[in-house]
Amino acid sequence: MKIRTKLPIVFTAPTMAALAVLAFVPTIDAINIALQNRDLSNPDSLYVGFANFRALIDDPRFLNSVSVSVAWEILTVAATMLVAVPLAILLFETTPPAVRNGLCVLFIVPALLPRVSAAFVWRFAFHPLFGLAVYPLRLITGQPIDLLANPHTAMFTVAIVDVWQWGLLFAVIVVKLLETLPRQPFEAAKLDHARTWEIYAYIAIPMLQAPLISLVFVKMVESLRAFDLIYVMTRGGPGIATETLDMYAFSQGFIESGRISYASSMAVLMMAATTIAFTVLWRWARRWRET
Amino acid sequence: MAELSFRNIAKRYGDIDVVADFNLRVEDREFIVFLGPSGCGKSTILRMIAGLEEISGGELAINGKVVNDLAPRERNVAMVFQNYALYPHMSVYGNIAFGLKRMKIGREEIDKRVRSAAKTLGLEGLLDRRSTALSGGQQQRVAIARAIVKTPGVFLFDEPLSNLDAKLRNHMRVEIARLHQQLKTTTVYVTHDQLEAMTLADRIVLLRNGAIEQVGSPREIFERPNSQFVASFIGTPAMNFFEVDLAGASAPCSKKARLAIDPARFDLDGRSKVVVGIRPAHLRPARQDETANIIEGVVDLIEFLGNDALITFKYAGEEVGALVPAQMSPRVGDQVRMTFSDDNLHAFDIETGRSLAKRSQGRP
Ligand SMILES: Nc1ncnc2c1ncn2[C@@H]1O[C@H](COP(=O)(O)OP(=O)(O)OP(=O)(O)O)[C@@H](O)[C@H]1O
Ligand SMILES: [Mg+2]
Repeated sequence: MKIRTKLPIVFTAPTMAALAVLAFVPTIDAINIALQNRDLSNPDSLYVGFANFRALIDDPRFLNSVSVSVAWEILTVAATMLVAVPLAILLFETTPPAVRNGLCVLFIVPALLPRVSAAFVWRFAFHPLFGLAVYPLRLITGQPIDLLANPHTAMFTVAIVDVWQWGLLFAVIVVKLLETLPRQPFEAAKLDHARTWEIYAYIAIPMLQAPLISLVFVKMVESLRAFDLIYVMTRGGPGIATETLDMYAFSQGFIESGRISYASSMAVLMMAATTIAFTVLWRWARRWRET
Repeated sequence: MAELSFRNIAKRYGDIDVVADFNLRVEDREFIVFLGPSGCGKSTILRMIAGLEEISGGELAINGKVVNDLAPRERNVAMVFQNYALYPHMSVYGNIAFGLKRMKIGREEIDKRVRSAAKTLGLEGLLDRRSTALSGGQQQRVAIARAIVKTPGVFLFDEPLSNLDAKLRNHMRVEIARLHQQLKTTTVYVTHDQLEAMTLADRIVLLRNGAIEQVGSPREIFERPNSQFVASFIGTPAMNFFEVDLAGASAPCSKKARLAIDPARFDLDGRSKVVVGIRPAHLRPARQDETANIIEGVVDLIEFLGNDALITFKYAGEEVGALVPAQMSPRVGDQVRMTFSDDNLHAFDIETGRSLAKRSQGRP
């Protein structure tokens, strides 16, 4: 009996240990570097305590990047869900299954594209002179418009590409979820004087609450990793209008000044903030679902 | 309060005719039961009334108004589904109130009506419970409460009791009967359980392959089946059938089977062969001196049913079942000699299965 209960531990322990090493060593290393004043141009370094973190508080560019990151996160998660759910409902309501399946395949394609390629394709589509996406705007206003160069529109424009990839993919997932729902509650609701939108608002979406919340979390994690997309399309510009936290850290560490410790302190902060934020949101979502 | 009228209703899926030319009038306050074997189109017709299924042809009118193209919500009908179809994420209260909220009824009025419906169905203590945390019987009661609370013109039930165990089924059947006595709402009830049909119906509509086989009160259908199909479908244990050779038109009595077929009761019309039917309950042991209507054989199976026993024996190449009081039951291997009274005999055309009984000569 004893042996039997210990066996799983014996077998999983090496893997767990390897994973722990892989996860913790870089993390501890990052914290360690964040507490020094290491610089790419200088082989020596000293421990400086929390000086890097203190410097961050007074760095307006850091504060900007935090707010850009938060805005990007909220914008892309909300837009993805707001595109995916209505689009899925529209597909589910109006198309026969064969057409729907065809469209679903089509909708998955953008997500299959490597994001760097997608970013290049769209960057060209938004080109003020030749871009297909801005062609209608060019017709209306009669002059070239560079959406990516305008600090007010740059982030929205990049977000369009993100939603093009993920909103469509999520729409397919939501369609498949809708297809798995039992028909009878829908029929009962039809007889209960519910209009089509009420059936979705009060029956279908609440029934899909758990998977939809999971999708929101998946998208939140995914949106954190939009570095490549933003980098290719705007490089954080114009100015610092689309410079997210990871992009600022990258440029501090490797592009502009080589301040590894300073960049590392940002990475540590970002890690702590996301861990806390996700834990809190997850708890909150679970409590909210249970009531 | 509503009446229903079906005029030449048809339903096609692609080129499959599921229902063809269905005609029926359901009176206000009537309790109609659609009865028939699986796949005969009962649910399809019910769903056409509800508006969940498109009508391919003909006209359906509720209270004189053609509703073919009306959405379900505009038809003033309520439906109870076989698998309850409750809203899983809502409380019992939420389930019952949902329709009223959509009808934009005031909050207080909703509360009053929900509580009164819950009281009628004995759900008062469960109103705050999640609908998924209920037993099957409770869920079905919630489904019924959800239907009655809207005070619809027509109730539709699609095999509402078939997911319940036998005891609960009996209990709920009585509750549905009581509810109808109380509310008097026009009801269309689908089942393939003939006991439910017999006990609940004002009229039974017996369906076969999407067409009406017979419409009538439970008693009419039981006593005067229109066809061999109806006769075999209604009544447990099932009716016994034999093919009978009539020895010429003038002697309407079979030589092989000693059965008297009265030409005054049946329209024999020069037929040389007919199918006759007799219910197991109408067979009784014959006295020695009785010689008419004799059916005899060696018992090969006895099924004990409580008060009665169903004995089975072979006669004229057919399995025959007879119900006898359990304490008088013979033993397997015994020779039995059974008889029956003339008016319990049914006769059917051998080809079409139509009843040959003369209609004018109906019994009370
Ligand atoms: N979507 C469909 N496409 C094609 N045929 C269908 C479709 N839905 C139902 N049918 C056919 O219509 C016929 C009637 O079905 P229906 O569900 O009305 O039967 P039912 O009398 O309710 O049977 P049961 O007692 O098993 O519920 C069946 O033969 C079924 O195969
Ligand atoms: Mg059915």
